[in-house]
Amino acid sequence: MSGLRKYSLILFLTLLIAGAAAQDVRFSASVNKNVISDKDILVYTVTIEGVRDFPDVPPPESPDFVLISGPSQSSSIQIINGQMNASKTISWQIAPTRTGKLTINPVSIKYHGKTYSTEAVTVTVTTSVSGQSRSQTRTPAPAQPAQPAQPTPGQNADNRKGDVFLKAVVPQTTVYKGEELIVSFDLYFRNNVRTYGRKKLPDAQGFWIEEFPASGQPTITNETVNGVAYRKATVQQIALFATKTGELTIDPMVVDCEVVQTNQRRRSVFDDFFDDSFFNDPLFQSSKVMTFQSEPLRIRVKPLPENGQPSSFSGAVGQFNTESSIDTQQIQQDQALTLRYKISGSGNINSLKMPPLDLPNSVEVFEPKINKNIDNSRGTIRGSVTYEYVLIPRRPGLLTIPAATFAYFDPKAEAYRTLSTRSFKVRVSSNDNSQAGQGAGLSKEEISLLGQDIRFIVRENPVWRQAGSTVLGEFWFWLTNALSLLVLIGAASLRWWTDKLETNLAFARRRKAWPKVQSRLRTLQEMAAGEAGMDFYTQLDQALIGYVADRLTLPLAGLGPKEIEPALRRRGIDTEVISKVVNLLVRLDEIRFLPGMVAAEKPAELLAAGRDLLTNLSKVI
Amino acid sequence: MHLQRSILMVILMVGGLIGRPDPELDRLFEQGNEAYQSENYSEAIRLYESIVTRGYDSGVLYFNLGNAYYRIGNIGQTILNYERAARRMPNDPNVAFNLKLANLGVKDKIDVPPVFFLFRWYQGGVNLLSARGWAVLFAALLLLTVMSFAVLLNVDFRRLRLFLRTVCLIAGILGLLVAGLFIQKYHNETADDQGVVMSGTVSSLAAPQAGSTELFMVHEGTRVRILDSDEHWLKIELIDGKQGWVPQSDVIKI
Repeated sequence: MSGLRKYSLILFLTLLIAGAAAQDVRFSASVNKNVISDKDILVYTVTIEGVRDFPDVPPPESPDFVLISGPSQSSSIQIINGQMNASKTISWQIAPTRTGKLTINPVSIKYHGKTYSTEAVTVTVTTSVSGQSRSQTRTPAPAQPAQPAQPTPGQNADNRKGDVFLKAVVPQTTVYKGEELIVSFDLYFRNNVRTYGRKKLPDAQGFWIEEFPASGQPTITNETVNGVAYRKATVQQIALFATKTGELTIDPMVVDCEVVQTNQRRRSVFDDFFDDSFFNDPLFQSSKVMTFQSEPLRIRVKPLPENGQPSSFSGAVGQFNTESSIDTQQIQQDQALTLRYKISGSGNINSLKMPPLDLPNSVEVFEPKINKNIDNSRGTIRGSVTYEYVLIPRRPGLLTIPAATFAYFDPKAEAYRTLSTRSFKVRVSSNDNSQAGQGAGLSKEEISLLGQDIRFIVRENPVWRQAGSTVLGEFWFWLTNALSLLVLIGAASLRWWTDKLETNLAFARRRKAWPKVQSRLRTLQEMAAGEAGMDFYTQLDQALIGYVADRLTLPLAGLGPKEIEPALRRRGIDTEVISKVVNLLVRLDEIRFLPGMVAAEKPAELLAAGRDLLTNLSKVI
Repeated sequence: MHLQRSILMVILMVGGLIGRPDPELDRLFEQGNEAYQSENYSEAIRLYESIVTRGYDSGVLYFNLGNAYYRIGNIGQTILNYERAARRMPNDPNVAFNLKLANLGVKDKIDVPPVFFLFRWYQGGVNLLSARGWAVLFAALLLLTVMSFAVLLNVDFRRLRLFLRTVCLIAGILGLLVAGLFIQKYHNETADDQGVVMSGTVSSLAAPQAGSTELFMVHEGTRVRILDSDEHWLKIELIDGKQGWVPQSDVIKI
């Protein structure tokens, strides 16, 4: 109120300043509420803007209303960006004479030869249920001319809810995932709110929330809702970025307001004293803290389009720019250079991701230093992300840093955009006495390997082996070792055999008996074929006796049929074979010792008999 | 005469057993090589791995597989396959070179503590040949020893005996040495306590349970020794002696 008084002084001063540009004249009318009871008083207000000298405004005319008090006037002057804006409000208190839908006729003024008129205002008047007397609530209009219309104490308490309300406003209810959505929480009130405080910021599941800073003094604008003039202050603005798709809800915001109480005045002796407009001022009225909350909002979040999505896209939505810079184009080997990428713009700065660097492996790259900077002071979320890479080229030559690509989705154009940074060429001069690798943990040998490529694949078909097989599971290994063992056993046996033949005479005689007799038989064969003399019979006799003696280990001297028979018998040999041997030997003895006495058989027959006998004997002895 | 013929037969049989060709495996291998040469590395990997899936392998196969993984930048698989190739071909210069090169890409640079020189020599000696190589050498030396001994036992030429005695003695001593090296190498090769870290960054914990104290970090491609296992966890040891527990899925045995 005191502020308004100040304004009127400023108005007076500024009216003296001539030459302000002519402005559009706005002329409008409003009522403080459009649903009233027949006992209520209505405040009808006419606002003129854009004029410097205010014309006379006639009172409202309507057959259904009676004028109770007024006019009361207030003027204000604002200078915005060097432009002066003056306005004047004139209000009347009027009371309905009947119930129903009543219309207040337009008010017209003439200004610089032009006629301006307000729109007609329609008010619904209902029958009052309470038997409240109108006369009691009617108070004289404030005397001060610059005083604006006050909410009179007569206004019903149950209308107060409509007097103050909080509204969440969004420009659209369908957004893309990651798109910025600005939500304003506007408090509508009618001069009856002194202060307000944010009690609870809205929660929004599935959104990244960025708050805008509240300005120290909120700008208050006038707005007419359903014909009722309200004053509007934006309590809070937030920017939301959906992180998932689907139907999402923004929870209500809660605001505490100090609302002026228009309680019934007590009647006392001091009433006359207190019944003064000065004490009618809200500063002296009691107030009460009340809580208001906005309606929850439902937002549909669309997924980003699939087609046309670049491969380098990583979720950035908004409008962005990229910049790249390098601190030097000429560097010595093993020295560090700094490569900077900066993405700036408006949108979901938090989701920005730089595509990885594609550098030759002769360059050592350190993890980038990331610097995020979010600016929320300009009504939209702007900001920049800076990536600072430190590179150390490990080899001399021309180093090419390829262009990096960054893709984002532009929700306004509904299209993907791809930005490319410029590529850099850096000349790396060699460092002859380089103590390379000391800082990087690489040995000199490893440094020399950097920049080399792996050796090519082998193309000859290899020998396939069962996976997990070892040499111990393979046949050839055991076969070869078994062969070695066999050779060893064979050689040892051979040696043992020859040793025994050399050292054991009886054994040697027995082993050699058969080959000896065979060679003798061959000689006898030759003799029998030729002229077989007495010698043949002797030889045959000796061959037979020699064989038996060798096999039975008997001394050769004086060995004849009589000695052989018991020896053979002791060995348990078949009597038939024994008698055959003895008979043959006796026969041979007869031929040898009684020549001409016995008819000599043919040598060949005797040889055959002897051979048969030897074959039989070899089986038993 | 008889002995010579049986030796020839044995050699033929052994040769036949080793070089048993499998045309299907060769076909897959050749296709893998073609894919590699036309820079279709993932297809080459698929073909090479299909040979492994069939239950066959070879040092060369793992070498080529390692190359293909190197090309697509999978450092863990690269190191794993080169290590497998190195196990089968310990003296192949190409395998050694590529392994060294691939190890440059491993993030963990662990300082190897110095090893006592005799032990280093011993390790070098053991690694001269693969277990199979040592086995072949052992079998050959054994046969030589035994044959010269057999002749020595039964033949009585003075000059020959002197020569054979030398051969037998040297071959016998060498055979014993080779047998020792074979046992060591065989043990090294069949030991399943060597592994390679497969995941980008793995934190090594003090106890085999999630949420216990983090001791150190290991990165993809680092070679570790596996000391112990506990259901889903492996206790690993780095070359510098640091020990900790990591999830079983993050380490693959060589």
